[in-house]
Amino acid sequence: MMRSPFESALTVKGPADGVAEGAAALQLADLSRRSRFGCKGPGAGEWLATAGFPVPHAPNSAVVDAGGIFVARLATSEFLVEALEDRGAARVQSQWQLLSSSSCPSEVYPVVRQDGVVGVRGTGLQTLLRQICSVDFVPLLTAGGSDSGPIVLASMVGVGVVAWPSIDRSGSTLTLWLDPSFAHYFWVTLLEVGRGVGITVIGSDT
Amino acid sequence: MSRLPAVQGELIDRSAPVEFTFEGNRFRGYRGDTITSALIGSGVRILGRSFKYHRVRGVLSAGGHDVNAMMQVHCAGRSIPNMRADIVQVEEGWDIAAVNTRGGLVRDRLAFLNRLAPFLPVGFYYKAFHSRRWFPRWERMFRSLTGLGEVDLTASALSTPKRYDFCDVLVVGGGPSGLAAALAAANEGAAVLLVDENIALGGSGLYARGGVAGLADRTVGLIAEVRGHPRIRVLTNTFAAGYYADHWVAAVAPECLVKIRARSVIVAQGAYEQPAVFRGNDLPGVMLASAAQRLIYRYAVCDGRRVAVLTANVQGYAAALDAMAHGIEVAAVLDLRPHPGVVSQPLADKVAGQGIPIHFGVRPIEAIATRSGELGELEFESTAGGASRRVEVEGVWMSVGFAPASALLHQANARMRYERAVEQFVPFALPAGIHACGKVNGVYSFEARLADGRHAGQRSAAALGFSGEGAHRRDLESECPTHPYPIFPHPGGKEFVDFDEDVQIKDLVNACQEGFDSSELLKRFSTVGMGPSQGKHSNMNSLRILAEVRGESIDTLGTTTARPMFHPVPLAHLAGRRFSPERRTALDATHARLGAVWMSAGNWRRPEYYEVAGKSRDNTIADEVRAVRSGVGIIDVGTLGKVEIRGPDAAEFLERIYTARFAKLGVGMTRYGILLDETGIVVDDGVIARLGPECFYFTTTTGNSTTLFREFGRLASWWGLRVGLVNLTGHYAAFNLAGPLARAVLRPHTDIDLAEQAFPYLAVRQGMIADAPCRMMRVGFVGELGYEIHLPASQAADVWRALLAHDSRIRVAPFGVEAQRMLRLEKGHIIVGQDTDGVTNALELNMAWALKMDKPFFVGQRSLRILEKMPRRQTLIGFTLPPSPAGQSARRPKECHLVLDGDQIAGRVTSVGWSPTLERCIGLALVTPRVASGTHLCIRTDGGANITAAVAQTPFYDPRSERQRQPDPT
Repeated sequence: MMRSPFESALTVKGPADGVAEGAAALQLADLSRRSRFGCKGPGAGEWLATAGFPVPHAPNSAVVDAGGIFVARLATSEFLVEALEDRGAARVQSQWQLLSSSSCPSEVYPVVRQDGVVGVRGTGLQTLLRQICSVDFVPLLTAGGSDSGPIVLASMVGVGVVAWPSIDRSGSTLTLWLDPSFAHYFWVTLLEVGRGVGITVIGSDT
Repeated sequence: MSRLPAVQGELIDRSAPVEFTFEGNRFRGYRGDTITSALIGSGVRILGRSFKYHRVRGVLSAGGHDVNAMMQVHCAGRSIPNMRADIVQVEEGWDIAAVNTRGGLVRDRLAFLNRLAPFLPVGFYYKAFHSRRWFPRWERMFRSLTGLGEVDLTASALSTPKRYDFCDVLVVGGGPSGLAAALAAANEGAAVLLVDENIALGGSGLYARGGVAGLADRTVGLIAEVRGHPRIRVLTNTFAAGYYADHWVAAVAPECLVKIRARSVIVAQGAYEQPAVFRGNDLPGVMLASAAQRLIYRYAVCDGRRVAVLTANVQGYAAALDAMAHGIEVAAVLDLRPHPGVVSQPLADKVAGQGIPIHFGVRPIEAIATRSGELGELEFESTAGGASRRVEVEGVWMSVGFAPASALLHQANARMRYERAVEQFVPFALPAGIHACGKVNGVYSFEARLADGRHAGQRSAAALGFSGEGAHRRDLESECPTHPYPIFPHPGGKEFVDFDEDVQIKDLVNACQEGFDSSELLKRFSTVGMGPSQGKHSNMNSLRILAEVRGESIDTLGTTTARPMFHPVPLAHLAGRRFSPERRTALDATHARLGAVWMSAGNWRRPEYYEVAGKSRDNTIADEVRAVRSGVGIIDVGTLGKVEIRGPDAAEFLERIYTARFAKLGVGMTRYGILLDETGIVVDDGVIARLGPECFYFTTTTGNSTTLFREFGRLASWWGLRVGLVNLTGHYAAFNLAGPLARAVLRPHTDIDLAEQAFPYLAVRQGMIADAPCRMMRVGFVGELGYEIHLPASQAADVWRALLAHDSRIRVAPFGVEAQRMLRLEKGHIIVGQDTDGVTNALELNMAWALKMDKPFFVGQRSLRILEKMPRRQTLIGFTLPPSPAGQSARRPKECHLVLDGDQIAGRVTSVGWSPTLERCIGLALVTPRVASGTHLCIRTDGGANITAAVAQTPFYDPRSERQRQPDPT
């Protein structure tokens, strides 16, 4: 099983750990074990579309298809593909195998993505964000949907992240992708900052 | 007691008494009292001592700027310096003392300095320090005498969080114009954030009443409207301390710094009332009229039961009426003007109607102290001549004019001009998104301020695309609120322009005569405006004096620069929560289990060495070196920058950024590359591997990886090359398996053919290792048979563990950064940034073999061509010391020790250490060509002792590099 870059940090307790999930103002989840890959290059968008993946039209936006596959367009010709649910994992993995093989078009470049991925949600989300990031997420977390919307490249607690605000029936969630070498620091710092808000870890891959 | 009967709107809770001590005596106030109001309410008028002359001082502004009433507060086991008594609310049990006294406030032993004033002329500090001989003595004396509160060095750090906030319109200032602006903008649909430095909204709308409650009632109504508006949020007790580009405003709240990003900013900060400058204007009891009004209406206290009002505007008459409305006797109103203006006349009639004598066309001569040092009399005279007169008073309320609180406007690059109609600077050209209203705009009457605020609110909303009126209207006052020159020199001096620094009129005149006659020079030489209040009560008057001395208008002189932060800000707020991102490799937990002793490398943490119980650091490192030389070691090099480049122009890109050739580098091979800047200075090096015709994978040094990747992207875009760059630094792990037994350890775990012919030195191969996909390079940084293994970060720990558990007969020894440094030093390999500095060019490193000057282009090539024709400034050489045992020695050189040529500095040691392999000290040094051409060099070691080292060829170890090319014995 793939290791999570947060593995060493998961032993650090949050202030609201042990509190019932619903009672904590903030819930933090490690989503790093999801299957994902990246691709870039002038032919990347077309290659993804041909393979049946949804392709966002504009940079800094993302779409999710009915199979739970998330595709983010990070730049004009750079993409991040991730299976949000287990049912999409095999499809993502097989596409990565294809991309890594010699049969891949020369204008599509594989990008290894070993990101640390964090999901944060709860009533205290805005309070937390206003202590860790200079981007105003209020309009994004109130106007977005669960199947498409903007992504934001931002700095949080000094670490560059790709942030995807989404809304579903359980409320607003912010999913963050970051360089795995910052994972320990990022996780521990979120717990520390979230201490005043009431943060709990709700596990991984949920 | 000076507490008044209950006042409508007072901020104190009379049902909640608060007991505290001040200067050792117990006092009582109420919850909501500031330290100042609680003391005034208890009959204490002397609140502090002045900074320079240690004169007794009382209330001046009661508005957050009384720097002579700063306190050391002991509470809850902490000692907090420089608490501003006029805004800090006193709490139960506080132990308070005035700062800047020796022996207490009343019996301050430094009070004699007041009598030495004639010997402490302007610029005294600068003049004193001119003498080298007397410098140390002056320094000791100044350090002993000066300073305000005392920092408690035992206090623990506060984890004060920073916070961001966002809005469409930020309104700074919650007085009548700010309230009107906020409502107007919000009514048009904008999300408004209103920030006010006071505990409560309302500003002067609540305390400048003129004896009647009408205006205050309307202000209260506005506040209620603001509080109830769904699109207005309010932050009180929070001041906007600085404006930065793109409408970022730093706001200081009680517990944290709030960084506010607004789409538009309305500055409604009002104006600071200014003191008149006359002899004795600093005596306790002499205060701004607005200070007296604040004390009455916010805290229900008065400082003196019989007062004179010194005025030049309608606000002075309003203050007189406020005094009378609360039973404070007004002995006289002294109007500096020959007659009242049209706005003042009705209130003057009202005052006169109550039997209060009003003297027009007068000027103050001196405030005269009683024996206790407090105010006793005010002497004044008519400007038309005649004998001076005295009036017995306990208080003098000064209402002679205002200076706009325009610091934020200046910081936002608003253009200001001096408007004679109101005798103040007003904005006349505002940057996009910046608006001003109210007193800062030269608008003073209540109705006009409301109108001005409404217009500003509507303009700001309209500019953001909301509905609203975009027209700009401003109605300046019909009666000037400010006297053009409220400055009255006295032959005896002690007319204070600046209360922070005890600057008198003569100080400024003398400074001008000494040549410091521009606003900026005058400020620095005289220190006017350089105290904690940053000139809020002194800058305008000092400008008036400067203009008078120079015979020029204030407009031509200009103002001093208003830099952020313009209010005192606790350092804890600026420090905030410390975000120090630290990177960890994928093997971090593995290292911890192996006993790693950590060190910082850039923002990474790396094992310096692996601790062994009972063994010293140096011996442990030496053993790690020996393990690599004699067996096999493994080191985490995952901190290296790791970049993949693909595309038809990938080779061309590398040709341009590195000094070596890559166009013809074979697939499956690697090459060392040096990277220069445009001036030929070495900025990085690394290994470049060709994985395919259009695919390369290369490394950069640890510290440069982020910067270089950004630069690579810029260059690729600038050159228009068809390449795609991928930063794999964090996503890939890397470790180096090195030593004579490396191949034997590796072979059982990989499907890559390790035979010498199949995988020669400097080759790169891709395959599997312990079930993980990997890229493996045969490189020799440490000078042994070595494999640098790169693989996805999530699989690194399992592969590392598999290699260490390989075979009980072969111990794979983890080694840290220090051992690696020695291993590479034995090979004479440089570390960029350690053996080079910001001025070391590639020619000075004796690495001409890596510089392909016949290539068409690489970054820095043109500079190297020029440098080739010039004499060398320095060159890198190796040196050795005679054989010696391991361990520290005082006479052993260290990095950065100087190399001497006679009595001249001829270079420095860049790397040095005791080599376990050679059993002697070896090192590298950047030295002059003259020293490099010799056989020995002189190194100045710690303590000043010189030692002689022998110049030596590098590599020190295995000069023919046979060990890293070690053929496969099998």
